[in-house]
Amino acid sequence: MSTALVIAKREFKSYFDSPLAYVVICLSFLGLGLMFFNYRGGFWQMNRATMQPLFENLPAGLGLLVIPVVTMRLMAEEKSSGTLEMLITLPVKDSDVILGKYIGAMGLILTVVVASLAYPLTMFGYPWNLGPIDMGPVWSGYLGVVLFSFAAVAVGLLVSSLTESQAVSFFITFIVLAGFWFSGSVADKAPGLVGDVLHYVSFQSRMGGFMRGLIDTRDIVFFLSVTVLALMVSFRALERRRWA
Amino acid sequence: MATDVMIEAESLSKRFGNVRALDGISFQVKKGEVVGFLGPNGAGKSTTMRILTCFLAPTGGTARVNGIDVFEDPLAVRGAIGYLPQRAPLYTDMGVLEYLKFVAEIRGLDAPVFRKNLGKVIDVCGLAQVLNANIGTLSHGYRQRVGLGQALLHDPQILILDEPTADLDPNEKAEVIRHIQQIGEDRTVLLSTHNLSEVEQACARAIIVSKGKVVADGQLEEIRSRTGSVRYVVGVDEKASEPSFKELEASLGGLKGVKRVSALPQEDSAQLVELAGDQDSDLRADIFRLAVDKGWTLLELHRESQSLDAVFRDLTQGDEALDRGRKTEASAPSKKQSSAEPEKSSDSSNEEQS
Repeated sequence: MSTALVIAKREFKSYFDSPLAYVVICLSFLGLGLMFFNYRGGFWQMNRATMQPLFENLPAGLGLLVIPVVTMRLMAEEKSSGTLEMLITLPVKDSDVILGKYIGAMGLILTVVVASLAYPLTMFGYPWNLGPIDMGPVWSGYLGVVLFSFAAVAVGLLVSSLTESQAVSFFITFIVLAGFWFSGSVADKAPGLVGDVLHYVSFQSRMGGFMRGLIDTRDIVFFLSVTVLALMVSFRALERRRWA
Repeated sequence: MATDVMIEAESLSKRFGNVRALDGISFQVKKGEVVGFLGPNGAGKSTTMRILTCFLAPTGGTARVNGIDVFEDPLAVRGAIGYLPQRAPLYTDMGVLEYLKFVAEIRGLDAPVFRKNLGKVIDVCGLAQVLNANIGTLSHGYRQRVGLGQALLHDPQILILDEPTADLDPNEKAEVIRHIQQIGEDRTVLLSTHNLSEVEQACARAIIVSKGKVVADGQLEEIRSRTGSVRYVVGVDEKASEPSFKELEASLGGLKGVKRVSALPQEDSAQLVELAGDQDSDLRADIFRLAVDKGWTLLELHRESQSLDAVFRDLTQGDEALDRGRKTEASAPSKKQSSAEPEKSSDSSNEEQS
């Protein structure tokens, strides 16, 4: 098994060795359920066979709470407890460490995302069939959520690799992801170029297309670029210790 | 270059901002040697070890481990060594066996090799009882053993251990030292510590660093005789003759060949004094005659080659005088004990550095 996968496996397992994974999964579903069925009247009020509220609430909940919590410890904990030295002095590449951590955290987030498939499957498949649903936007919405998670987890990992404090890591990740999320709503009020830029980087506006069943290459490339960029900067941040 | 040089540092230097942590450290460790790497806290021991294990890059100089340059192929260097960092930082949420498996997977050990080595590691490090325990619940001594275990798992020829006995109780210390002696029988070990008695037990050779420089490097006997003085301990009965320390100091200091006199902690009834004398003379007869003349009751008198402790203090003295922005635990106690001769010791450390 490649070194990155060994590290990823350990990371993923360690979420389940602590209460963190269970708390995260339970709270995500509690929150998602409340939002989906009750927020602004919720699903029933719309009276349509659509999963759209899911794709409004799921990425927001992931980005604003779950991902900061899951990624805050990735590098910060290793640095503050000194285990990083133990890990790095094993024959591993720095890039394997970053990649392994990333895949491990991504694993937990994807677990949450995949589990949320229960909504469309139970509501429009078995045991209930609430109406004829167009599965196209559901799958494209999921593609969007996954791409969004790729980028958001990478940003969380990057922040975590810049600090030794998990609390700092949580808040900064929260602020950055909230900024990326809400910049779309601010963009409408901002003038000219600023508005364009804010709109361009907004995770929320990027999600809009996927939600409606529109898969735009530009959005895919955007999320993947953010992911790759954040991972590369994390790698540099880890490498920097050698020269500090 | 002889092939039996396993660890080689060549004028390594390292700066952290304005702090010069290493200032041209050079040394070699040959195959099969167990070398003690000594120095006060902050002298550069851990930094040197981190460079050797490719965790840090040196600002200047080169280092080779197992003949491989740490710059050229860090992965091969790390693969060849077993390293126990200071305080054995382990994942506290993992079980012992689970952790060892994780390390083996990263090191790419095959299952049969892992099983074979695991048996040995469990034996040598005494891990049988805690194999299924969670690392977070283990005492520091056991964590240290697990740390030692992970360093031995791939049966490396070179071991780098950073203060493996710090924070342990005396029993645990003795245990770990015993393990290291056992391990060192057929491996190359570089062991850092500031506990000198451990070095005397486990190592044949020592390298002493201070202020980022090597101040002594050689067999323990050589280092002991380094300062060129012999230590005498004289005990005089207090009740019978009541000589004050001043009197003792004056009379003993007057003897030919005595370099310095200092008080040792008092025993019940004896006033204990420590003398430093020339390497090639024996003052015991003179001391005895002096005692008879003065009417002192001599309770104790012995001569010994200077202890490693004293050499260490002499060589690393002044570390705390230099403002490097760090408190040095090891040199703090030596401050009050040998404050009588700061000049002499700084002289000697300068000589050693050259």
